Amino acid sequence: MKKGNDHGKHKYGMVIDIDKCTGCGTCMVACAAENNVSVRADQSDKERTITWMRLYKISNGKEFPHTEVSYFPRPCMHCDHHPPCVSVCVATATKLDFNTGIVSQIYTRCIGCRYCQAACPYGARYFNWWDAFPQDKGMDRYLTPEVSPRMRGVVEKCTFCHHRLMRAKTLAYAEDRRELEEGEYVTACTEACPAQAITFGDLNNPEHEVSKLIKHPFTFRLLERIGTEPKVYYHSSRDWVRKLGDNFLPGEYTPVVNKTWAEEEWSTKPGRDEF
Amino acid sequence: MDSPLLPHGVKRCSTWAFFFWTLPWLALLAWGGLSAFLCLWKGLNQTNMSNVFAFALWIVFDLAVIALGAGAFFTGFLTYIMGQKELKNIIKPAVIIGFICYSGAMAMLGIDIGQPIRGWFIFWHANIHSMLVEVSFCITCYLMVLAIEFIPIILENRKLEEIKELRIFGHSLHEIMAVFAATGTFLSFFHQGSLGGMFGVMYARPFAAREGFYIWPWTFFLFVLSAIACGPCFTILCTKLTEFFSRKKLVPDSAIQLLAKISAWLLSLYMVLKIADYLGWMYGIIPRSGLTFESFFREGPYGVYLVVCEIIVCGILPAIILMVPKGRQNQGWLIIACLLNCTGIVLNRFLFIVVTLAIPVMPFDRFWGYLPTWQEWGIGFAVIGYGFLLFSAAYRYLPIFPKERELNPITE
Amino acid sequence: MKLTRRNFIAAVIGGVAGIQATPLPWKLTDDVAIWTQNWPWVPVPPTGEFAEVSSVCNLCPGGCGIAVKKVDERAIKIEGRTDYPVNPGGICPVGMGGLQLLYDESLRFTGPMKRAGLRGAGQFTEISWGEAFDIVAGRISTLRKKGMPEAIAAVDGNPEGTTVSALIKRLMRAMGSPNYVRPPSITDTYRMGNLLMQGTLSPMAYDLENSDYVLSFGAGLLEGWGAPGRVMNAWGMWHDGNPSKRKTRIVQVESRASNTASKADMWVAPRPGTDGALALGLAHVIIKSGQYDARFVAEHSSGFDDWRSLEGTTHTGFKRLVLEKYSPEQVAKITGVNPKTIVSLAKGFASAKAPVAVYGKGKDSLNGSLYEFMAVQSLNALVGSINRSGGVLLPDPIPLSNLPILKVDAIASEGLKKPRLDQAGTMRYPFTDSLINNFTDAINNSPKSPVDTLLVFSANPFFTLPDGGGFKNALEKIPFIVSFSPYRDETANMADLILPDCTYLEKINDTVWPTGLQYPLYGLSKPVVEPLYNTRNTGDVVIELSRAIGESVGAGFPWENFEEALQARAKGLFDAGGGLVSYDSDAPAWQRKTAGKGPKPGYKSFDEMWEEMQSGGMWYRPVSSPKSWKGLFNTPSGKFEFSSKLIAQAIEDYSNKISKKAALKNMSLAAIDDEACMAHYEAPKAGADSSAYPLRMLPYEMMNLASGWIPSPPFLYKTIFENQLLKDKSFAAVNPKTAAKYNLKEGELVAVKSPVGELQVRINLFEGAMPGIVYLPLGFGHTAYDEFLKGKGVNPNNIVQAGQDPISGYPVWWNTPVKLVKV
Ligand SMILES: Nc1nc2c(c(=O)[nH]1)N[C@H]1C(S)=C(S)[C@@H](COP(=O)(O)OP(=O)(O)OC[C@H]3O[C@@H](n4cnc5c(=O)[nH]c(N)nc54)[C@H](O)[C@@H]3O)O[C@H]1N2
Ligand SMILES: Nc1nc2c(c(=O)[nH]1)N[C@H]1C(S)=C(S)[C@@H](COP(=O)(O)OP(=O)(O)OC[C@H]3O[C@@H](n4cnc5c(=O)[nH]c(N)nc54)[C@H](O)[C@@H]3O)O[C@H]1N2
Ligand code: SF4
Ligand code: SF4
Ligand code: SF4
Ligand code: SF4
Ligand code: SF4
Ligand SMILES: [Mo]
Repeated sequence: MKKGNDHGKHKYGMVIDIDKCTGCGTCMVACAAENNVSVRADQSDKERTITWMRLYKISNGKEFPHTEVSYFPRPCMHCDHHPPCVSVCVATATKLDFNTGIVSQIYTRCIGCRYCQAACPYGARYFNWWDAFPQDKGMDRYLTPEVSPRMRGVVEKCTFCHHRLMRAKTLAYAEDRRELEEGEYVTACTEACPAQAITFGDLNNPEHEVSKLIKHPFTFRLLERIGTEPKVYYHSSRDWVRKLGDNFLPGEYTPVVNKTWAEEEWSTKPGRDEF
Repeated sequence: MDSPLLPHGVKRCSTWAFFFWTLPWLALLAWGGLSAFLCLWKGLNQTNMSNVFAFALWIVFDLAVIALGAGAFFTGFLTYIMGQKELKNIIKPAVIIGFICYSGAMAMLGIDIGQPIRGWFIFWHANIHSMLVEVSFCITCYLMVLAIEFIPIILENRKLEEIKELRIFGHSLHEIMAVFAATGTFLSFFHQGSLGGMFGVMYARPFAAREGFYIWPWTFFLFVLSAIACGPCFTILCTKLTEFFSRKKLVPDSAIQLLAKISAWLLSLYMVLKIADYLGWMYGIIPRSGLTFESFFREGPYGVYLVVCEIIVCGILPAIILMVPKGRQNQGWLIIACLLNCTGIVLNRFLFIVVTLAIPVMPFDRFWGYLPTWQEWGIGFAVIGYGFLLFSAAYRYLPIFPKERELNPITE
Repeated sequence: MKLTRRNFIAAVIGGVAGIQATPLPWKLTDDVAIWTQNWPWVPVPPTGEFAEVSSVCNLCPGGCGIAVKKVDERAIKIEGRTDYPVNPGGICPVGMGGLQLLYDESLRFTGPMKRAGLRGAGQFTEISWGEAFDIVAGRISTLRKKGMPEAIAAVDGNPEGTTVSALIKRLMRAMGSPNYVRPPSITDTYRMGNLLMQGTLSPMAYDLENSDYVLSFGAGLLEGWGAPGRVMNAWGMWHDGNPSKRKTRIVQVESRASNTASKADMWVAPRPGTDGALALGLAHVIIKSGQYDARFVAEHSSGFDDWRSLEGTTHTGFKRLVLEKYSPEQVAKITGVNPKTIVSLAKGFASAKAPVAVYGKGKDSLNGSLYEFMAVQSLNALVGSINRSGGVLLPDPIPLSNLPILKVDAIASEGLKKPRLDQAGTMRYPFTDSLINNFTDAINNSPKSPVDTLLVFSANPFFTLPDGGGFKNALEKIPFIVSFSPYRDETANMADLILPDCTYLEKINDTVWPTGLQYPLYGLSKPVVEPLYNTRNTGDVVIELSRAIGESVGAGFPWENFEEALQARAKGLFDAGGGLVSYDSDAPAWQRKTAGKGPKPGYKSFDEMWEEMQSGGMWYRPVSSPKSWKGLFNTPSGKFEFSSKLIAQAIEDYSNKISKKAALKNMSLAAIDDEACMAHYEAPKAGADSSAYPLRMLPYEMMNLASGWIPSPPFLYKTIFENQLLKDKSFAAVNPKTAAKYNLKEGELVAVKSPVGELQVRINLFEGAMPGIVYLPLGFGHTAYDEFLKGKGVNPNNIVQAGQDPISGYPVWWNTPVKLVKV
């Protein structure tokens, strides 16, 4: 390998603001539309239906009228440390790109052993249990040539819309630039979110919004303590939400001081009673 | 009808009786064949596996069968490397059982992967970090070794023996069997271990995750040990089963007892280490992941009783029975102990596969259930049918028990 | 060599070994592996030239700007536009899945068709457009010749004010039928409320982006209320702090922990249908504590204090009514909300800088209640949030040109004199334009359908009306039904003739003033792709149909095609001046500009403007400084009316005609005299014996499921949770306490029975459900379309027993008595 390459130069990641997230599901639909994800007549079978981006509904579990629900939009975390799925893959069909931090998936390489699915704790990997697409309905007419439709028997997952990176780079190169500006490469879910709950960028670039957001005390990651080092971060002013981001032994979780952007207590949700 | 093919000087049932005996096993094979066809033709949607239960019944079967098949390499190791001549009386059935187990497992794996035709990518695009690659390489090689070990046994068939070249070929193979036994031992050590390693390295799955030595998590060594602790017991069980159906004594007690004794020691050692492993996991990995022991055994069929069964009923108990000479000398207790031992290992593999996947790691994720479809059972049972058929045929047509003639003189 | 067994074996072994040494097995292995990568049944999307077309989504009245990515002639992705004022950036999941509605052939009619099977079976045979026009025109001409043009009726689901809707209305008038009805929507309630309290006919204009305290009474801000693209965008903005750099506080008043309720800063849960009482409770606290805007009340309102009429009678004012009847304790009894909460809520609202109280009922796809709206609007008035930044604005109506005056012939003018079947606009429903539930009843209650030919435009009343299946029965009675739907929806499946419209991505169309927006906006969508099938823009079809009918009807439609009609109306936008046709995200439309400043329109002639509108898809006038108070309120008093003089007059007129008692009964009023003219609370009349039906069913809506005329793109079902829909069963959300009463467990199958029907659902135990209420999701239970949508779950509308809202007569669909029975 040539010395002085940009090994580890970029580290793309996202921050999802759970307070802003409306639970609308646009990110899920956008992802499916962008990435030629297959649809089937019965998609209530959540163990088998393919959703690279998936909303998990969470609740504070309190009784009426103190109940709250919220959502974790969950793409692939693009685990940074030794991605569990990558090291196990038999056919090197999934790789961590050290230049971008993106965990890729090569469908035509995958043999469908599903070891990666067993290893991923986030349920981010999906197997093609069926042949991809409804036949004879004309729906293949909206498929984009930028992303290959998958064949039966292989695993697929969120790629951080890798083709968008390629697209952005191609454009930049055409303009004789080597580096991308912030915002030139964003994922389909980021772009689609009507509440701007998702921010995407280079975590290694201190100028990028994401690298500022991840320093906030309300920012956390899912299952941080098992050490997968996800590059997807979440942000919430609500302690019960943050607490659901990981497993904690009784008494282990320390609430974050309720301070906010504007240092105003109002943007944290006060208990109903105090209000 | 087939009398010219039968070994010299032993008694076998009539061709018809043998034919009827094979029918149920052929039926299982047919069921499996249909299942396999459907899975290959229509895809794995024929199973109830899912993105949650990415590994399921078949992998449990595979791992169980491979552990049980460890009798082959381990007996070979004892016979040829350690020079336990007594075991020559049982080495051939052990090899055949091994061959059945491994070839069955490979066949099942071929159906289990979503793109069987690309299976060879494992070798071509091998990812050296993947334990499964290590498993695949070793098992493939070892299956070849087993085939080589099986060949001279086949060549001992009365008719084949008549062909001079084959006879010489077979005998020469026999001469160098120690080389293959050594190779087999080496390969087996690694693939049995890697099967354990497959789970131990999944560090993001706290149920399976283990620390270990260098690149090998503790499960690597535990799987090797548990396999060699139960393999001999499985060989004993198969022998006893053959003796039961043929209503003959086929293997001298000395061989059986030796295997049982070795198994006892290994099982005891395994139990000590396994308990230590459980404790280390409970007080190390689990709390570090923010979880408690109970969190893994919270629902329905995945109760904590599984662990109790694995350790006490199917571990400590058979270890004691086998360890006490009186216990293992009693036929009833011996069989019970072997059964428990084998069950315990299967349970261990089940836990590692199914519980690992069934228990969600994200606190807000839900628990899913899984029941195999008839197609999945079909493939599983076909391996059993295949085993019975192959072993019966081997017993019928090959002199696999050297002491059979001696123990059952034909008095006409 | 002789073939012996020995050399046979040798040959086989040698052969096998030999072949390994050739490239054959390796080549074959490689080939089969390549074959698995090229299975012929895996689609291979052709590539080509990439392009992007800007347009406007009109799958809902929200009118988001969309950018459609194309590869050659294929549309491959819909994205939100950042250069569009409504939704700068994102769109909703329905719009995101829009391409499936274009390309899923089995959802669509591919050309004009005639019914071939039984009604509802969905079997049709293709005919030509000529034949289709002959059939409709022939039938209409016959009816007109027989002197019964009123037997033609139309259901029009196109948003109010759009050009296609204007043309349909015009066609009905030209033919001579008064029976033009529309499915109800919240905008009807707004329109009526604004007319009665403010005397304005402009749409409701909530200045949400500039507000620092949004108190939503039932509006599903995150469930699809208003223009969803705009509201969700505001939602994100509110969290980053509004222009005054304070985080906007959001309070949701709703009985269920919906997304909005959960994600708001505070959730208050009154019993369904008591929102009005709660608003009046807040008014009580605000008045009592003197926190109200005394200046607004004194200078710009009427009916606040008691007053004496010319005849000398003393009338109760809003203040006395509220102080006497809506103390926190009294309100707590009605609503179930803690009095302390009412007090603190009132204080928070009154002390905010720019508070706004928003009224709604879930999405805007169904109507609300007039008095509830008045109660909420009274709150806005009390704190002076009317005609103030961050409150409710009173913009001028959008300056579209009127269509030329229509000359009707004698047949038509006779027909137009006939009473409307729905009685809208009569003394009984003096302020209502259209009452489709009455229309349905009129058909169902007469032995022979008074409607001979029904034309259905952009509506699926069979599925969407909360009428317990009434419209379906009416459809069965109507002799001839013509559907203009592009989709194979339930209503279309009942039709005898289909004149299919193009989908929204295949045609030119307009959206007029997305619901709730605080500034006028006219959106123009354009064909993103050529029509895929033999379908035609209904705008064009209406014009062609008028010609086919001929006589004065045809003469009323002087335009060559629909685009000309659009231009004719848009001319007014040019004449009015000051409208922008492009958007700069640094100057959002809601940002207040002092008059004369801000971006200037760049066009010089109408043609230039039209051209830019076609490429940009918009005309809008950004919010400007507050309007002068002079002449702002067009009410009889010229002020904001807490007590509506129009209502007083209407009740008096009707009482003079029939007895007062009968009048009040017909108007569904329990209150009398002054109270009836003001916001007040009336308990909905109990429809059924509450011991037989101890629970209440409340339909609820979701952002990620279309519950109106538009089918849900199949992608949306990925977003539905397995405790909302599992295989063919949808779920009722029930509080665990309520479920325990009936011994029901999670996932258990139950029948929800109302006096008008029953549905089978599974139970979902949800802590966020109010005890005693059964919540059923709207949007499931289709019996039409294709396997993606058909037979999934149940449609709660089928068991709604709707009462009538006082004065307005709209259906009260939020109070159906039900019981749960284990299956
Ligand atoms: N959604 C989606 N995802 C995909 C695919 C898809 O079609 N759709 N395609 C898949 C396929 S086929 C592939 S190959 C992968 C590609 O995935 P990647 O391998 O991640 O491809 P690139 O993004 O091109 O990244 C290559 C990196 O190498 C760096 N580089 C360039 N030259 C050199 C060099 O000389 N030395 C070193 N060390 N680095 C260098 C570049 O700067 C860049 O960061 O994406 C896969 N992922
Ligand atoms: N600008 C830019 N260019 C690149 C790269 C980059 O990073 N940037 N990366 C390069 C790399 S690493 C690669 S691998 C190539 C990939 O380049 P390509 O191979 O051209 O692109 P793909 O998107 O992988 O898929 C190719 C086509 O195969 C179709 N297809 C998918 N499945 C099947 C199937 O089962 N059968 C058949 N017959 N067709 C199928 C897809 O729809 C698509 O039209 O691009 C290279 N070019
Ligand atoms: S699109 Fe945005 S708001 Fe909607 S669910 Fe996804 S992250 Fe949440
Ligand atoms: S989230 Fe799962 S699939 Fe994604 S990188 Fe991590 S382990 Fe792999
Ligand atoms: S399923 Fe595919 S990607 Fe996953 S481990 Fe196996 S070969 Fe690798
Ligand atoms: S980053 Fe791209 S691939 Fe990943 S979830 Fe978002 S849209 Fe899907
Ligand atoms: S909110 Fe309405 S207009 Fe906007 S994208 Fe969704 S359906 Fe289309
Ligand atoms: Mo590639």
